[in-house]
Amino acid sequence: MQKQGYWGYIFTLPFVVNVVVFLLFPIVFSTYISFTEWDLFNAPRWIGLDNWVRVLNKHEFWVSIRNVFVFALIFVPIQTIMAFVIAFMLNQAIRAKGLFRLFYFLPVVTPWIAGGVVWVWMFNYQYGVINWALESMGLDPVKWIDSSNWLMVISSIAIVQVWKGVGQSMIMILAGMQNVPKEVLEASQIDGANGWKQLTKVVFPMVTPMVYLVMILSTISAFQAFDVFLGLFGSITTGIPERNMVPNLLVYRDAFLLFKMGPASATAWLLFVIILVFTLFQKYFEKKWVHYD
Amino acid sequence: MTKTTHPLLKVLMYLLLIVGSVFMVFPFIWMLSTSLKTVGAISQMPPQLIPNPMNWDNYVTIWNKIDFGRYTMNSFFIVSIEMVGSLVSSAFVAFGLAMFTFRLRGLIYMIMLATLMIPSQVTMIPTYFIWKEFGALNSYYPLIVPSFLGGAFGIFLMHQFIKSLPKELYESATIDGCSPPGIFFKIYLPLCKPALAALGVFTFMGAWNNTLGPLIYLQDKELYTLPLGLLYLKSENVNQALLMAGAVITTLPVVMVYLFAQKQFVQGIASTGMKG
Repeated sequence: MQKQGYWGYIFTLPFVVNVVVFLLFPIVFSTYISFTEWDLFNAPRWIGLDNWVRVLNKHEFWVSIRNVFVFALIFVPIQTIMAFVIAFMLNQAIRAKGLFRLFYFLPVVTPWIAGGVVWVWMFNYQYGVINWALESMGLDPVKWIDSSNWLMVISSIAIVQVWKGVGQSMIMILAGMQNVPKEVLEASQIDGANGWKQLTKVVFPMVTPMVYLVMILSTISAFQAFDVFLGLFGSITTGIPERNMVPNLLVYRDAFLLFKMGPASATAWLLFVIILVFTLFQKYFEKKWVHYD
Repeated sequence: MTKTTHPLLKVLMYLLLIVGSVFMVFPFIWMLSTSLKTVGAISQMPPQLIPNPMNWDNYVTIWNKIDFGRYTMNSFFIVSIEMVGSLVSSAFVAFGLAMFTFRLRGLIYMIMLATLMIPSQVTMIPTYFIWKEFGALNSYYPLIVPSFLGGAFGIFLMHQFIKSLPKELYESATIDGCSPPGIFFKIYLPLCKPALAALGVFTFMGAWNNTLGPLIYLQDKELYTLPLGLLYLKSENVNQALLMAGAVITTLPVVMVYLFAQKQFVQGIASTGMKG
């Protein structure tokens, strides 16, 4: 490392500006706003804890928290297990690996809105291809994202989120699997480990750090879900039914449709606290199952 | 890997992989198929997989109705500038962190890691306010300027890479009379290509698929990006065939880029797990 320290400051200057302008100031300012009544144009008016109390007393806030928890609870396990299983299979001696990888990764690069409109069309109650398939198997058609049952709506959206994200998780786990040394696998085979034993006792423990990373990243993205809702509901208006709400939709609606910056900031901070608690929770259980060398 | 996979097990694996692939690819097939249907064929039951007749006019109609040509150019414009900005600035800052000892180095490094945890919805409203005060709403500045200031993820990636390069490079260049910026631009930046490719992939995907940013900052239709154009088309209540034609137009460019740079995409994603 070099001694001319001032060059260090010159090179890191852009990032320092970035942190001060787009991070420190916003953090302080957004905390302040959460204690005020502000419409973005007139001067903010201090109202103390009112926003926080109001947000926490609103039914829709708790509905949005329930929804995002259920959303994460459906999405994260399905995505992680599916990504692991596909990665494991693509790590075997099979044909057309490149083609499969291409197929699974295609939704990852697809813009959300494009993915959203086609899923809405496939979910269509009357003319949707999914209900047509159900009916031709003799089953009843299902209301998917138009359902009046919130659990149905949230599950349907979680499935679309899996479609979009599983490829990325799969590639990450696959990279972890390819780092498992061949010698280790051969040694375990000589010791008489069959395929299943090898998977559970050798491969899985060695990729747990990557599986853990995938889980953390998908949990955070689940709690921050916004694009999937934008993609599926289209232009987001004030009229999204309360039963389908998630916190980030509330933040967006309050801030940019209703110009109520106070409640929006309070909601954003509450969401941050929830994500933080959940990440620490996962971190606490990390040492119980994640193996580092 | 294992040479002793049972043939039956192998059949099962192919079966699972194919079922999974159908789940992944069918929406694209359906998008394409619907985009070529006539109004009558859209709601026809049972639905046609291969439309008969093929109604290519949908693309002409949609191209005339929505300025997708302009939106494609806008998207490419924003994405290219963001990529240049984020690649150069991330490497620039990372070089400073990796090469020099200075008092606040540790602090800056720590803040960089901490920024990875701050969710964007917390900073979104004040950031919007900043751009409003600068009079930069309804312009590309809010989308592209921050990319020139180095992002935490990019700096982290580049820092790991620069640290792995031999130290002698820097010393011999100093002896040859090169200044630190010269050393960065002439020697280190070109050497960072593999890491830059990985970071480029992330920046590309992030910028191309960004909807929230353009949604809150861009009001004029001439400034729209492709996803915003599609969102606008959706709000116009056009028929499904036209909407799907729009979706195909929005998806095609990014899929083409992906097909050409598949290796970089896969390596880029795989490298995220290598951190720490």
